[in-house]
Amino acid sequence: MLKQLFPALLLGLTLAIPAFAGSAADDIQVIDPWAREVPPGLTTSAGFLGMKNTGDKEHKLVAAESANTGMIELHTHINDKGVMRMRPVENIPIAPGGTTMLQPGGLHLMLMMIKKPLKAGEKMAITLVFEDGSKKDIEAEVRHFTMENMKH
Amino acid sequence: MKLLFRLFLLLLVSASSVHAWSLFSSAEEERYPGMGGDFTLQSARGEISLKDFRGKVVLMYFGYTSCPDVCPTSLGALSAALKKLDDEEMQQIQPLFISVDPERDNVEKLREYSRYFHPKMIGATGNLDYLQTLANRYGAYFRKAEVEHSSMGYAVDHSSTIFVVGKNGKLADMIQHSDSPKRILEHIRAVLEE
Repeated sequence: MLKQLFPALLLGLTLAIPAFAGSAADDIQVIDPWAREVPPGLTTSAGFLGMKNTGDKEHKLVAAESANTGMIELHTHINDKGVMRMRPVENIPIAPGGTTMLQPGGLHLMLMMIKKPLKAGEKMAITLVFEDGSKKDIEAEVRHFTMENMKH
Repeated sequence: MKLLFRLFLLLLVSASSVHAWSLFSSAEEERYPGMGGDFTLQSARGEISLKDFRGKVVLMYFGYTSCPDVCPTSLGALSAALKKLDDEEMQQIQPLFISVDPERDNVEKLREYSRYFHPKMIGATGNLDYLQTLANRYGAYFRKAEVEHSSMGYAVDHSSTIFVVGKNGKLADMIQHSDSPKRILEHIRAVLEE
């Protein structure tokens, strides 16, 4: 019985692994996700995080969603001789073995049409969507600007 | 002959002192020749003019409230620097947020937004042509940029500089975008002590 089951198990594993490993959601480790508290009256903010690719092929973040926003876009800032130009990007690549940082002044999740105001200390649920359709749920900590500047 | 030599010496000394004085004064009066100057804008408390704040150091920042990252980062750093000032220093400071997006930013929205960063910060705006002229005079840049494939409609490309106006109403310093609260504080204190 056991002798018969073993090859079947082995076969099952070899079939399962390729389908499993390499999915972007599995390869990507999310580092310190956070969102900026919104000043009164505003419905636009920004979300930040690091993404580490533990896999051996490139992955791309292609979208993000949250029940608390009407829309999330992937944006970057170009610092053109001191002029900050904010522009959408189609995707955010994460090289194999590499880490891509979304941080103030550069790449960010543009959180738009925020429904419930973001208050420091709360968590905001966001779903990251990758190029292969795999998804990853994260909880971004909402931070007041004074919590950012402590780092300096 | 001796008298002539003395006269010559006197002339030399007075000439050089006049020269030194003019150098000193030009450095004091015109650090940024032809730049800056007075203006009047609308705020939730009514019209405000740069002239209203003579005797104070005015810290001016051009931005817009739907700017999700650059403006809060700069204003947050400015706010952190202001928190380090003592009460006496703070009495001589007036922070001012100037919106270059009057289409979306009304004065009430600007009051709430500015207060969030500092209780003393005033939010103000004006009509677009006036703002453009004002920005040009200070060497600030902004331009409405239609953004394709985005539901934000348009962004405003803008420079991210804190303009420091001295107690005499003249432009005294410019603090660049990436400066830390510590560096911002040094810039502010230097102008306060002038």
